[in-house]
Amino acid sequence: MNRSVHFAPTADDVADIRRLRLASFAEATTLLALLLVAVPLKHAFGYSAGVRIIGPVHGAAFLAYIWTLIAASAGGGWTRSEIARMSLAAFVPFGGFLNAGLLRRKQASVVASLKERP
Amino acid sequence: MIPYLWIKAIHVAAVLIFIAGLFAQSVAVAAGRRGDRGTGALVSHWDRRVTVPAMLLVWLTGATIAVDGGWFASPWLWGKLAIVVALTALHGVQSGRLRRIRRGEQLRLRIAPEHTAIGIAVAAAIIAILVVAKPV
Repeated sequence: MNRSVHFAPTADDVADIRRLRLASFAEATTLLALLLVAVPLKHAFGYSAGVRIIGPVHGAAFLAYIWTLIAASAGGGWTRSEIARMSLAAFVPFGGFLNAGLLRRKQASVVASLKERP
Repeated sequence: MIPYLWIKAIHVAAVLIFIAGLFAQSVAVAAGRRGDRGTGALVSHWDRRVTVPAMLLVWLTGATIAVDGGWFASPWLWGKLAIVVALTALHGVQSGRLRRIRRGEQLRLRIAPEHTAIGIAVAAAIIAILVVAKPV
């Protein structure tokens, strides 16, 4: 069993990790779309509609990710380094994709822990 | 296109429901620390169905109003924004605490939920002053 799962998880915790995986993916994807598509389009071709649309979408995705991360970490079962790593990932391009492995392992560990219980 | 005043009305309604949800969470956390897990379960259900959608509406309508009205140049908006960010974070923290209570954990908190509720009341009052009187 994963060392970080030192609590008695419930189905709520699995749902929480699923939400976090989705929010992390959305945050990372919209950040890349903003940096690699919308910003170059604006500066190279003067086409600013992309930034006007993707900018607020990424803002919403960022807030959703941070809120989900706060709720999940306040619910317990996460180490400080896991929380620090996932917080840092929000500010780095590709960071959200680097979270994918950690969150997948975490979900598997929590699901296994749920199955182990009578 | 929804008229500006309607968006504003929806925003105010969503803020009221969101703040009420924060108070309910604080009361449920206080009750949970005294061994009452039922209140926590009830408030968590309310939270998912009502408070979280209200919080999303607060952000969505708030951003629309700020962009439409060109308020980003006003210092009062940034003060309000900082408080709303803090309240949103507090909502996440209290959601996590309620889950721990439902799990049967005994919470050890640095700040009592009763004091958190006072903080929410002060924050709501400051938001009202900033938005209505616009002192800065």
